[in-house]
Amino acid sequence: MAPSERPPFSNSFRTSAFRLAIAYCLLFTVSVSALLGAIYLITGSVLANEVDNVILIELDALADEYDREGQDGIIAELTRLRESWGRAGAIYLLVDPSLAKRAGNLTAWPFNGVPKERWLEFDIEALRDGGIVRDPVRARVVEFPDGYRLLVGTEVSERRQFQQRFRSATLWAIGSTALLGALMGLWLSRRLMARVRAISTACQQIVAGDFARRLPVGGSRDEFDALAVAVNHVLTRLDQQTATVRATFDSAAHDLRGPLFRLRGRLEELQGSTALNAEGRSSIDRALKDIDSVQRTLAILLQIAQAESGAALAESARLDLGELVQEITELYEPAARAQGLSLDCDVERSWVNGHRQLLTQLLANLIENAVNYAGPGALIHVTVRTNAEGVRLQVADNGPGIPVEDRERALRPFVRLSSAKSTGSGLGLSLVAAIARLHQARLLLEDNAPGLCVVVQFQATRPENAPQKHAVPALPTPRVNATA
Amino acid sequence: MRLLLIEDDPEAARFVLKGLREGGYSVEHAADGRDGLFRATEGKYDAIITDRMLPHMDGLAIVQVLRQQGCDTPVLVLSALGNVDDRVRGLRAGGDDYLTKPFAFVELLARVEALLRRKAGPQATTTLKVGDLELDLLGRRARRAGREIDLTSKEFTLLEFLVRRAGQVVTRTMLLEGVWDLQFDPQTNLIDVHISRLRQAVDRGFDRVLIHTVRGAGYVVRDDGT
Repeated sequence: MAPSERPPFSNSFRTSAFRLAIAYCLLFTVSVSALLGAIYLITGSVLANEVDNVILIELDALADEYDREGQDGIIAELTRLRESWGRAGAIYLLVDPSLAKRAGNLTAWPFNGVPKERWLEFDIEALRDGGIVRDPVRARVVEFPDGYRLLVGTEVSERRQFQQRFRSATLWAIGSTALLGALMGLWLSRRLMARVRAISTACQQIVAGDFARRLPVGGSRDEFDALAVAVNHVLTRLDQQTATVRATFDSAAHDLRGPLFRLRGRLEELQGSTALNAEGRSSIDRALKDIDSVQRTLAILLQIAQAESGAALAESARLDLGELVQEITELYEPAARAQGLSLDCDVERSWVNGHRQLLTQLLANLIENAVNYAGPGALIHVTVRTNAEGVRLQVADNGPGIPVEDRERALRPFVRLSSAKSTGSGLGLSLVAAIARLHQARLLLEDNAPGLCVVVQFQATRPENAPQKHAVPALPTPRVNATA
Repeated sequence: MRLLLIEDDPEAARFVLKGLREGGYSVEHAADGRDGLFRATEGKYDAIITDRMLPHMDGLAIVQVLRQQGCDTPVLVLSALGNVDDRVRGLRAGGDDYLTKPFAFVELLARVEALLRRKAGPQATTTLKVGDLELDLLGRRARRAGREIDLTSKEFTLLEFLVRRAGQVVTRTMLLEGVWDLQFDPQTNLIDVHISRLRQAVDRGFDRVLIHTVRGAGYVVRDDGT
């Protein structure tokens, strides 16, 4: 399992819960923006219509007054309006054809010449709060047949202010919606992540050999609890099956070893008897050797079964693979040299969590394989290196190697690739594969050009067997790969 | 030397009893766990050999009860179980040695002998001597007839293991366990090559050979005298 396949729980922003929350937050923000924007536009246009209506009505009334009473009538009316409390912010101006003021509350014609637009907007200066302020005005002008023009308008600063406030309130509302949504998303994703992490940690500990452990059930009867209960049910079932299988293996071992032991005892007794000639003695020697070989095969099968059941992890501990490799290489070196091979190792201190006896068996099998198959004169080089992924053990030889198409097959039980050497049970590499799997290590058969290079890639371990907080391996999958 | 064998398989018991008696031991036999524990607590034995799977009481339980009672008689556990961790559990329960069935009888004999010697207690010493071979345990140097022998660290450990058990048969598995701290059954005979290298260093050029091969069993370091 490559580290890239591990779910990266270290980052809250990469969880699906957070992404979903952000998507919802965006959608919600867009909806709120659209809603508030529509209200803003509608309110604006309603307010503007109201102003325009008032102006139009007043303009009509004044034009009627002009028609009926003439210039004097309207001047009197405008003066009256100016001096009475009329409507708030009302602006009037009557000018003669030369645009000189005749009546009204504006000091002068606010335009150069006569504007063509029907609706006009301009600023007036007014004395207010002890200073001059500029107020916006919206107005409309009618021209009478005698060339006089009447301007009726409304000072709209309040409307503008209202719109401005509405706009900023809208922006604040949208902003806080987005912020609140994002915070909610983060909180939600953290909460979900905590649950997922608890489940992952439990799974990891189960994979690491703590078969009695179960997934945490929070008691809130949510979907996580439903999942945990279902998985726990499966785990209990698997546990029962493993126990049955283990008991079966134990009794099978017992029932096979008992008779073998008796057989061996009888043969040894026979061997000690004086009535035996040389031929009989050598037959018994061969029979005893056969018993040894049966016993060895049985031991390997049981080891494979044990490694596959994962029970051996209970006895695993942190150990220096480099030291173990050095020890075993030194143990095998004289025997290899006696067979005309060269065996050496190059190790560095590399910690792995492992079962010492099974790892010893793995190394022994790899070295024995190399010694048996690399052929006389071959060089066997064993290396142990700590790398980014963990610890890499490599047993390389420059013998004939294994063709790419046979590599997968080589890992299967009872398969012997070369008929020339029929030593061994054909279980060696299967045991290696099972032990590698038990340690969550990848077993790779690579090309040493020429020769075979067997790689066992262990994952990084943390000191004190501590559960890894961030990198949580998935449940074990077959990790036996044959790569070119 | 009085031994107790707790074994429920009559055929296996007969064979082991016969072999041990031929080896000069006086052996009593118990055929089930309860009887075995009873005899072990009552009788005075120099060593106990017990099977693991027994009627009425498990072999490991017997060892645990004995140890709780303060009995320190050496116990050798025999097992036909297949688990690689059984040995660890057997030793943890208080067993002194562990042997998986089937085994060659010489293996059992050598281990029983080692247990009885161990009971006699290891002598706290800095030098070991066999004939004219002298081992300086502090300096980790070996001399034969006053001449320094050139040994690697592992070869010295191997020689020390044998010399400490001078006169005792030491099997190949015992060497793998004791010198290399490995519990496994190598296909090729690795130990023989190491011994022959050690012989080259220790015995070559001397009339009197110290490292002897015991056929079908293992090795013994012994000064046969003149």
